[in-house]
Amino acid sequence: MDDQADDAQLTAALVRCAIGDRAALRVIFDAEAARMTGVAFRILRRRDLAEEAVQDAFLRIWRLARSFDPARGSARTWIYAVLRNRALTLLQDEARYPTSEGDGAWPEVSAEAAFALLPEKSALRRCLEQLDLKRRAAVILAYAHGMSHGELAGKLGVPLGTAKSWTRRGLLSLQECMG
Amino acid sequence: MSERDNILAAEFVSGLLDATQRSEAERRIAQDQDFARLVEQWRTRLSDLDQTAPALPPDAALWERIERQIGTQAQTAAATHGLMSRLWNSIEGLRAATAVSLASALVFAIIAGAALTYATREAFRKPVYVAVLVSDDTRQPGAVVNAFADGRVEMIPLAEINVPPGRALEIWTLWDRNVGPRSVGLIDRAQTVRLNLDKLPPTGPDQLFEITLEPAGGSPTGRPTGPVLFKGTTSRPL
Repeated sequence: MDDQADDAQLTAALVRCAIGDRAALRVIFDAEAARMTGVAFRILRRRDLAEEAVQDAFLRIWRLARSFDPARGSARTWIYAVLRNRALTLLQDEARYPTSEGDGAWPEVSAEAAFALLPEKSALRRCLEQLDLKRRAAVILAYAHGMSHGELAGKLGVPLGTAKSWTRRGLLSLQECMG
Repeated sequence: MSERDNILAAEFVSGLLDATQRSEAERRIAQDQDFARLVEQWRTRLSDLDQTAPALPPDAALWERIERQIGTQAQTAAATHGLMSRLWNSIEGLRAATAVSLASALVFAIIAGAALTYATREAFRKPVYVAVLVSDDTRQPGAVVNAFADGRVEMIPLAEINVPPGRALEIWTLWDRNVGPRSVGLIDRAQTVRLNLDKLPPTGPDQLFEITLEPAGGSPTGRPTGPVLFKGTTSRPL
């Protein structure tokens, strides 16, 4: 499978980063930076912040490459975990100093759009498919779009407690389905 | 596994925790292996969703900014030892896990082994010191000397050098004026050559290398006698 070949390549690149080979960081950048910018953009909804998150992420990947442990998870998962951490931190910083634009309204955001793009063979897709629409939406809007429980409640038109329970039950059903 | 920790890990990975809960979860990840494993499992479960994000090619300047910020930050060789032992442990761990995992352990061992071989080779591919030898007359570069971490030193010519019949090119290095120049190589025409510095102190910064024209067979006195064709001193590459 292509994913495995890609991941072996990313694993090799992280090992090379750990010994200070900058060309290896560039390999990761060339392969993943566009997707990473997309992931950060979905969460932050601003291009400049998304690129800031990607920049922070690459500095961390470079510094922390030695702490990557292939026994615990794939190289890609590790790289995206670093990125998502940076994006979520920036999101929280931004929330502390809110700007006028974009508060509350999420007209353009649709959970089903992300769902439709999941590969047919994805176990996550198969299991999300089994969730009812509202729980599926809650899980996807939180993970992919960085929505908080409060924002989910607003977007889905339900009380905060309901939004919390939908994400929890949705996540636990996924775990049961995927193992 | 406590159900509470499982939900905490799930909500952490989904980005549903507030700032305080998030830093608390990060502390747990660093200190509690079981919790870290739960987090990793949730990351793996949900990771396909990252691949549904649009590909947005970043601004060309982004890489330059990253490169600038990395600057001359060097990773230490010691750091790799931790990674190496973890790679090894993970192979052992996989083997012990189940009989079924043996095949994947082998595949992993091959990948990890190849990655490490490659990484090690790369480490020695980049010289620790470089000297560009230039002509005093024309200021044109004639050769490069690369000194590697494992003690190897090589000279690579950059230009044809006219060597009259009965003459040879001798390469010298000077690291201490009190000792004087030492011959480290003799060639009859411009070609890449491994220099013999085995008995000399490790190559350092600002160490002089030069190429002189000598009688075939090398200088009869053990000191440079002919004209200096190219010379230069070592610097550490970034």
